[in-house]
Amino acid sequence: MKSVISDFEYFTPNTVEEALKLLSQYNEEECKIIAGGQSLIILMKQRLLTPKYLIDIKGISDLDYIKLDGKQGLKIGALATHRAIEKSPVIRNGFSVLAEMEQNVSSVETRNWGTIGGNVSHGDPSGDPAPVLIALNAKLKMTSLSGERIIDAEDFTLDYFETALRHDELLTEIQVPTLPPNTGVKFTKFSQIIGDYALASVGVLVTLDEKKEICSDARIALGAVGTAPMRAKKAEEILKGKRISDDLLAEAGQVASEESSPTTDVEASEEYKRNLVRVLVKRVGGEALERAKKA
Amino acid sequence: MKKELKFVVNGESYDLWVEPNTLLVQVLRDELGLKGTKWSCDSGSCCACAVILDGRVVKSCSIFALQANGKEVLTIEGLANGPELHPIQQAFIDNWAFQCGFCTSGQIMAAKALLDENPKPTREEIQLAMDGHLCRCTGYNMISEAIQDAAKRLQA
Amino acid sequence: MNEYSIIGKPTTNVDGVAKVTGEAVYTFDMTLPNMLHGKLLRSPHPHARIVSIDTSEAEKLPGVKAVITGKDTPGGKYGLWRRFRELADQEILATTKVRFIGDPVAAVAATSEDIAEKALDLINVEYEPLPAVFEPLEAIKDDAPLVHDDFENNINATRHIEWGNVDKAFKNADYVREDRFNLLSQHPAPMEVHSSIASYEKGSGRLTVWSSTQSPYFLQLGLADALKMREGNIRVIKPHVGGAFGGKNSTMPDSVNAAILSMKTGRPVKIVFNREEEFSATEKRTAMHLAIKIGLKKDGTLLAKEVKIITDGGAYTGLGATTLYLAGTWITFPYKTPNYRYDGFRTYTNKMWSSSVRGFGAVSAVYAAETQIDRAARDLGIDPIEIRRRNAMTTGYEAPGQYKVESCGILPCIDKMEQRVKEKWANLDKDEGIGFAAFAYMSGGIFNWIDTPYAFSGAMVKVNIDGTVDLFTQASDIGQGHNTVSVMICAEELGIGIEDIRLHPADTATTLTDLGAWGSRETLMNGNAVKAAAAEVKKKLIEVARMKLGENIVYDLDAKDKRIYIALRPERGFSYYDIVKDAIKGNDGEPLIGIGHYTPHRKGMVSPAYAMGIMGVRAKVDRETGQVEVKEVIVVHDCGQTINPLGARGQVEGSIQMGLGFGLCEDLPTENGLILNPSFVDYKLIRIREMPQIELFDVPTYDPEGPYGAKESAEATTAPTAPALANAIYNAVGVEFDSNVLRLEKVLKALKEKEAKEKGKGRR
Repeated sequence: MKSVISDFEYFTPNTVEEALKLLSQYNEEECKIIAGGQSLIILMKQRLLTPKYLIDIKGISDLDYIKLDGKQGLKIGALATHRAIEKSPVIRNGFSVLAEMEQNVSSVETRNWGTIGGNVSHGDPSGDPAPVLIALNAKLKMTSLSGERIIDAEDFTLDYFETALRHDELLTEIQVPTLPPNTGVKFTKFSQIIGDYALASVGVLVTLDEKKEICSDARIALGAVGTAPMRAKKAEEILKGKRISDDLLAEAGQVASEESSPTTDVEASEEYKRNLVRVLVKRVGGEALERAKKA
Repeated sequence: MKKELKFVVNGESYDLWVEPNTLLVQVLRDELGLKGTKWSCDSGSCCACAVILDGRVVKSCSIFALQANGKEVLTIEGLANGPELHPIQQAFIDNWAFQCGFCTSGQIMAAKALLDENPKPTREEIQLAMDGHLCRCTGYNMISEAIQDAAKRLQA
Repeated sequence: MNEYSIIGKPTTNVDGVAKVTGEAVYTFDMTLPNMLHGKLLRSPHPHARIVSIDTSEAEKLPGVKAVITGKDTPGGKYGLWRRFRELADQEILATTKVRFIGDPVAAVAATSEDIAEKALDLINVEYEPLPAVFEPLEAIKDDAPLVHDDFENNINATRHIEWGNVDKAFKNADYVREDRFNLLSQHPAPMEVHSSIASYEKGSGRLTVWSSTQSPYFLQLGLADALKMREGNIRVIKPHVGGAFGGKNSTMPDSVNAAILSMKTGRPVKIVFNREEEFSATEKRTAMHLAIKIGLKKDGTLLAKEVKIITDGGAYTGLGATTLYLAGTWITFPYKTPNYRYDGFRTYTNKMWSSSVRGFGAVSAVYAAETQIDRAARDLGIDPIEIRRRNAMTTGYEAPGQYKVESCGILPCIDKMEQRVKEKWANLDKDEGIGFAAFAYMSGGIFNWIDTPYAFSGAMVKVNIDGTVDLFTQASDIGQGHNTVSVMICAEELGIGIEDIRLHPADTATTLTDLGAWGSRETLMNGNAVKAAAAEVKKKLIEVARMKLGENIVYDLDAKDKRIYIALRPERGFSYYDIVKDAIKGNDGEPLIGIGHYTPHRKGMVSPAYAMGIMGVRAKVDRETGQVEVKEVIVVHDCGQTINPLGARGQVEGSIQMGLGFGLCEDLPTENGLILNPSFVDYKLIRIREMPQIELFDVPTYDPEGPYGAKESAEATTAPTAPALANAIYNAVGVEFDSNVLRLEKVLKALKEKEAKEKGKGRR
């Protein structure tokens, strides 16, 4: 067997600045960033991507960190590997939903080398991290030679494999705010084979009032059922300001399934995926609620 | 244009010049003649190519060789101690944890990485660690048993 | 009860060290000095006339050493069904037309794979697309395009099996039902792709081929036919094989094109398929439409069975004609069927052809039969175990003119299953169900469609002066562990240890013919040959020992524990090593050699022996998503005498993985002949987290035909897995299926339809 990957020129910058300078030298069509390459290399093998220049940022150790700031929350460097997030005690204690999600991303082998920044920048509508970050109300920091931009996770992925990143920008940090009290977050992805690419994935955040009776905030994020991961805002409204019951969760599921826009593919039909959204939002919402009650 | 790749494989240092689009598995198999690491799927889906890179098990078909620059690689050939098999290898033999053997190198490397990190894994933890590995012959259960057996031998 | 030293005891793999250290060499790994790399140019059309091929640009590319098309081959057609020459329908490279997407039209040999691939892009082929046909029921129509001109209505092969009087029996039945099924294809998906290296010696005109094959002999014959060479001038060597599962029986384009390219260039040529080619252009399981009608007495006794099958053969025959026959055979097992009629048709379609895959007809047929019998049991109010028990074969059962079952453990298997299920599965959760399926399978086939004049298996044992043994056998270990079985049998027969024996397998030049690893034949057929070869040597050793002892001839001698001794007085004997020396020195230094053969005789039309059993599956259904979780599996099987319990267990569990795939998630959807999922990303296989716990029970019997009474163990269990699962799903949530691959949506749809029906009937 041989590799069919086309030739390219290869750079290994050591700092963010070096990387950004290189990015600005080449135009968008001919130049790509590689971190862990776990998604990129597959596309290059299929000749869907044939960049002439590859900028390898995996060696930029400044971007590989997981820090907890008491007030500001969690800060994850873009080059933190899936595995590091999965195993991080800081994340397991305070933001366990991230570790749970990472545990089912592909295989250990992929998680050991692939990075969360690489995954999110790829803009894959069925990627697992994005819906969780949306549910957590995370923010993404993008750095260029002219400065930094910070945007909401839900505004980051625009379309099928297209993100808000400009060509001269690098995703450098993911910021997850401290969870409000009485908050529970849960994420589940559904596939025929456990751990496989999601047919549909759902992340739900539920915040309850001081008495833990009324839902003061709900965030419902859907993955793999649109051209980008999305928030089911109408479904959220069903839950907000109310006491969440099983019937309400079922209703939210129904509304979310109508908000989603899955497509039929080799594995499953649009109708089936919509049904999945309905069932998952109901179930995952219920589990988030239980976590909020115990929080 | 070729670039320099300086790395250590199975304890030996190498200084090669490779094209950037060369995958790690190609360098190991074709340049270094270490054919124990296999290549089966072209899509990063089977882990037959798994090796240990700086202590972490990775798919060598999904990493450019140059990304291993300055790093240490352990392949199946580096596991035995001369003629003495590694306890994981012996456990695989004793538990009939392979049949055709084509996925076996990858499985053993992943098992090693697992047991290095988690010396007493539960059955579920083993399954989670080995989930990326496709095997068409064994039905997997005997592999899990071999890894549990290996864990016991390594503890002894 | 037999006391064996080695047979029946867990024995580790004789290739174990090689496989766990990465030292085992597969064709995929091999390189030879001065070797070139070959690639195939494949048709993008499912059916087209080849108007012209221009290879001139490709030939000019630096590094390209040869470009060939059909006109560069000896011409003519070949195929494995050599007994019936009209079924030889394959060409090395398509000459006048292509018949499926992927049909090879040209081949290139170059100094690197990269250059070979670039050369493919430079070959210019002009096609005239022709109307194509993709569905068997369309293909048999009078106005359907013909895939092969000589085959009317695209019917490639037919099969008729009959005994008794089916029509009369149906009239007398209390209960008659007919069900129709659509059974889908499945890919063997071995971990090692098809790989071959051919090396042609210009001086002598001899060819050596290393290939990832199930049968070096079949490959030798196929190459001889295709290349119009003498068999003896072709040597085929099988290195370690990374799995085959039925897809590596035939002479495939990798081997034969590598051979021609080597002949043309005078250098060794290696051809390796990429994974996309492996999925889309290698042999797969035969999909089929199946109608099965049964007539029963009201107590569930089977009176009559009538089966019609039409298979989707694809573009060529391969071993698909055998599948047609076997499907119509396995569908009668393991029950007494007093009256039976089968009509099978194999049709050509413009798709990659289907052939033999693990289970060889049984997987599809048993799915239909074993789900149907549960339906009948439900209608008649009979327990599913009981209805199987009532109809089970017994020792000596004969299907007139077809087969006879000499050893038959199905009844004790059923009893054991019933008992174990009561112990283990007494309490079920909501939406959980248990399902059963009984099964039987061959230990090699009687049929000689390959048209060999040789014994079906041969082996040679050579004992050296120091007592070490060289065992020569052409039998193929493709992962199932046959190398270990051969050595175990040889060791048991000679009374020595595994460590004393060195195996030289699978080389057509140095070993006696064996037909290869398919139809679960190696343990019985090659096992018998090895046993006979060892027995011949043992006879010589015993003669020498007897002379030395000078005892009365009524005293028998045994060979065991490296001694040869009087059976009744074990203290009187000699060391095996001493007798070996005497045998050689005392016979003018002639080597100690034993040769053994086996061919089944007077064993009916199907197989010399049948393994049997019953499987139980416990599964849970998620009513809202259609997800099926397979929790546990119990298998009770009769394989005569298990030779190596480790190997047998490995095979059973592996075959269940494939059976679950057939039942849940493996299929090859095509659109206009194009396979839509030719990669492990989209072709879903059961992985470690889906695999259920499996309990295996052995019900030993003894088949007089098998070595130490052994029969096959575990291609059989591929077949009952999916139907047992389908039955479990019915018992869990009440839905039936007329097809396999019970993927999510299918189950959910069935549940919704059931719900709608029940609402319609006014039930809650």
